[in-house]
Amino acid sequence: MRLTGKIATVIVAGLAVIAMTSMASAKDKKVDGRTLFREHCKVCHGPDSPNGEYTPMTLIQDQWEDFFDNNYVNTHKDVVDAKHGNKKVTDVITPEMLKKIKKFAVDHAADSEHPMTCG
Amino acid sequence: MTLKRIALAACALALVAAPASARKTYSHQKYFEHYEGTKTCLKCHKKQARSFFHSQHYQWKATASNVVGAKDRKLGKINMINDFCTNPLPTWIGEWKNKDGKIVEEGCSKCHTGRGIVPAETISDEQLENIDCLICHASGYRRNIYEKEGGGYEWKPILWKNTVGLDSVSKRISLPTRTMCLRCHAGSGGGPNFKRGDLEYKQTECDADFDVHMAKDGNDMQCIDCHQGEDHKIAGPGADIAGNEMPDKNILCNNDDCHGNEPHEQKILNMHTRRVFCTACHIPVFAKDNPTNMVRDWSKGHYSEKKGKYTYTAKFEKDVTPVLRWWNGKTTIMQVAGEPVKKDEKGEIMVAVPVGSKDDPNSKIFAFKEYHAVMPVLKDRQWILPILTGDFYVTGDMDAAVKKATEKFYGIKDAQFEWAPTIHYMGLFHEVSPASKAVGCLGCHSSGSRIDWKALGYEGDPMMALLQKSH
Repeated sequence: MRLTGKIATVIVAGLAVIAMTSMASAKDKKVDGRTLFREHCKVCHGPDSPNGEYTPMTLIQDQWEDFFDNNYVNTHKDVVDAKHGNKKVTDVITPEMLKKIKKFAVDHAADSEHPMTCG
Repeated sequence: MTLKRIALAACALALVAAPASARKTYSHQKYFEHYEGTKTCLKCHKKQARSFFHSQHYQWKATASNVVGAKDRKLGKINMINDFCTNPLPTWIGEWKNKDGKIVEEGCSKCHTGRGIVPAETISDEQLENIDCLICHASGYRRNIYEKEGGGYEWKPILWKNTVGLDSVSKRISLPTRTMCLRCHAGSGGGPNFKRGDLEYKQTECDADFDVHMAKDGNDMQCIDCHQGEDHKIAGPGADIAGNEMPDKNILCNNDDCHGNEPHEQKILNMHTRRVFCTACHIPVFAKDNPTNMVRDWSKGHYSEKKGKYTYTAKFEKDVTPVLRWWNGKTTIMQVAGEPVKKDEKGEIMVAVPVGSKDDPNSKIFAFKEYHAVMPVLKDRQWILPILTGDFYVTGDMDAAVKKATEKFYGIKDAQFEWAPTIHYMGLFHEVSPASKAVGCLGCHSSGSRIDWKALGYEGDPMMALLQKSH
């Protein structure tokens, strides 16, 4: 009986973890590149920022590709994000999030069909 | 041998590591290092700039050989008043902001091929440097409005602070592509497909059902394949554009280069081409993606929460059936500034009405978008008036917007005006469907016909009349 109870507890706990994980990943999927750019990039690269203002249309598509593929990690590995518990930017932004941010930047670069600021 | 291999491997690595932009070369890569505005282009292309200065795309007017009564006058949007955004001069350039500080209007020069200065009659270095060559010749070139140091505004590349980016974009020089043309022409009238109805952003990448000529996976034709030019003059102004800078070069589907006079396999269909132009059957609907503006009543302004500005009352429609009218290539365009308006029998001001009839052997039946508007007219002289649209969008004060624009444009203070309806037929020549999607026989010759036979000068379907006669 005791053993059965323990098994049931483990199953319930497991299901809860699975449910929470899938909820979190569903939430992640809903967050688009624009929102992520505003949340994670604009915080340090807004208007008049000493770090330089960056919106998607600050650079051309080649420059964004080059930045994300070759320079992002080097230039941001020591940067901490005060808005996200002073963690390293490179730890806060997951590879999945980075992919979305890159796509948003490239799709709305200065030489794209729809150049954009991030609002 | 080993050293060679190491050297080759090192080269390959360097190539991979190099920025993507550095690996690409463009048509004008070797001609200049840094783009410093139009003067960079003028170093080699002064002759071309001079020809462009005189073109309709810069002057916004040209000899109007197709307009009845135009004589030798040069007409165009710069000296006429149309029933969409009226006239560009009062709202040429600037930043009109709403109460939240959001820009709601940047001026009509947004789609002018200059950098912000109004085109002049006389050529000068200032005018030549005002030409924005890249807007039609550099893919990836985008510009924005900026305040000038000495006051006023100008259009500048959005990359003006990014030398590497601007140098890359400014070297991507080519003849104008479909995308470049559509950037302005699909947005005319204030928004996507607002004005023309058959020119949409979707045509940059559409399928053959949408537009059999421009389809990316089909003919993939560029605008300039039909609208061929010479010295920056462009052929084919359509039915409601006054200026025609290449009057001897008409764009017709039945040219020998294209479809000829007997393009169909069935004789009965080829018999139609004598009096029915291709578009009447091959454009069964237009505005296939974005709804187009069918009615614009400037007299009924209201505040739009969605747009964050005051605006006119409008009716937009999608998948619209064209109206058919006779046209012999001439158009009655009556919105010439400073001349009394002329009205049709319904009392509507004829902004652009095709000339032609069934009794005119030079006329054929063409497809048109029939557009209606309500416009301000000067009470005593009956001149059609402009509107300072930017001011109206911000304040909602139409009376002031008309009076201010009239003073700027005509020099008339405190203009007393009334409102009058307009009629405007716009020829449809794009969004041509493939043969399988064209209008069939019963589309016209049946009880539920799409055709208003009376408007074409018939009592009813002439084919039915013939059949009844023969029985």
